[in-house]
Amino acid sequence: MSAADAVPERGATAPPGLAVRRRGLVSLAGREILRVLKLWTQTIAAPVVASFLFILVFGLSLSGRIRHVDGFDYRAFIVPGLITMAMVQAAYTNNSSSVFQSRFDRYLNDVLASPMRNWEINLGLSLGGVVRALLIGVALLLLALPITHVPINQPLVLLLGVALGLTLFASLGVVIGIYAKTWDHAGFVQNIVIVPLSFLGGVFYSVSTLPSPWREVSHANPIFYLVQSVRYGFLGTSDVPVGIALGITAALASVTVAWSAWLFHSGHKLKP
Amino acid sequence: MTSVPALSLRGLTKRYDGGLLALDGFDLEIGDGEFFGLLGPNGAGKTTLISAVCNLIRITAGEIDIFGRPHQDPEARRMMGLAEQDVNLDRFLDVEETLVYHGGYYGMSRPHAVRRAREMMDVFDLRAKAGVRAPSLSGGMRRRLLLARALMHEPRLVILDEPTAGVDFELRLELWRYIRRLHEQGTTILLTTHYLEEAEELCQDVALIRGGRLLARDSPTGLLESFEADSLADVYVKAMAAAA
Repeated sequence: MSAADAVPERGATAPPGLAVRRRGLVSLAGREILRVLKLWTQTIAAPVVASFLFILVFGLSLSGRIRHVDGFDYRAFIVPGLITMAMVQAAYTNNSSSVFQSRFDRYLNDVLASPMRNWEINLGLSLGGVVRALLIGVALLLLALPITHVPINQPLVLLLGVALGLTLFASLGVVIGIYAKTWDHAGFVQNIVIVPLSFLGGVFYSVSTLPSPWREVSHANPIFYLVQSVRYGFLGTSDVPVGIALGITAALASVTVAWSAWLFHSGHKLKP
Repeated sequence: MTSVPALSLRGLTKRYDGGLLALDGFDLEIGDGEFFGLLGPNGAGKTTLISAVCNLIRITAGEIDIFGRPHQDPEARRMMGLAEQDVNLDRFLDVEETLVYHGGYYGMSRPHAVRRAREMMDVFDLRAKAGVRAPSLSGGMRRRLLLARALMHEPRLVILDEPTAGVDFELRLELWRYIRRLHEQGTTILLTTHYLEEAEELCQDVALIRGGRLLARDSPTGLLESFEADSLADVYVKAMAAAA
């Protein structure tokens, strides 16, 4: 083998077409998923253990004092919210850190210079966080089922709620990964916005039990509606009508998707 | 070879958000199969020009065509390969994965990309490092991998932004051999370099730029004659002094 063998033969490049263009998307999504799997102790195991500890510690310790919430055993009541919280945090963190790292190390240029369409790059970068969140969600559910016996009463609502939630936070992660100038910027949204809103979004309690004005204030929390959507999918009950919960989550997801699409279309912050 | 230029720039202008005018109405044409050198001091606009061609910056005005297609057309981008000045390798991928995923970004099927990646690893003596991640490679190995990645999808126009910056003399000669053979097989090369002897040794045509403007363009021999100089270094000094 010599260097001359590295030289292209004219016409050797595959002809352009739909299937060829999709290979770029598949490859980029594959790269993002490979990153998640290579770092599985950080990306999968750690959040699963942390959330499962919440189920064990809160569920088992408080279930003696709080017997039932909305007619369900407290251990089962907190499972939907905890799974939601773990999944949205994973989707956000994964994408914000992966996109920021690729900009910081400039290997994103290899993707931006390629023939991939803007929407393919956007989607490819988003899918790593989605897959990571789904793996965490499934693992948590499998661990929680034997000890909480949480039911899945509305599987279609559950699927829709999870899909909308992951779309919202996977896109938000990409957006923040593009805007961030330091690791602190990416971490700030996670630690100062997403985590507090998750805890205050009715994960551990029914918002309907809160006194006024905290009950009304909780309705201004976007994560509250996502938790309600997923909880309705599991338990068949929620603090607000499920249509409203799904509708507000869908509206928020539309905003973050449009925002990330605009960033890739315009090149704002991605290209000087 | 075709009569369509490999690269055509018309009125290319780039003004950064801070106000810096990096390229000012730049016109340039590079023929299919040409080995073209771009010389200029730091800040002359060389990397900005390359970034504009490769869709890595937003241009302010002008047009860029790659083999007759607008540079943002996916087909135009498929025909280009870029090895950047800075080592920008994916820290999570090993050598083989770096090449295979890059092939995927450019539309290669997985089996084709794996086959081609193994060829490239043999060509650039990277086979023994196939499973090593980029941060663990030596500087020379990273340079080889950058070049292998740029050639992975068999581009017709290869853009090399200071490919031998910071490498030892032995590796520089080796990279020159790779690049020269690539050109002999018909690939168009656009090379930027600070090493004048590199441009003199490799390039058929050389352009001198400063302040985002083209100062002169000719073959190395033609430049020596028109500047009444003994070496390309003399040409460079005279051209830059005249433009200052």
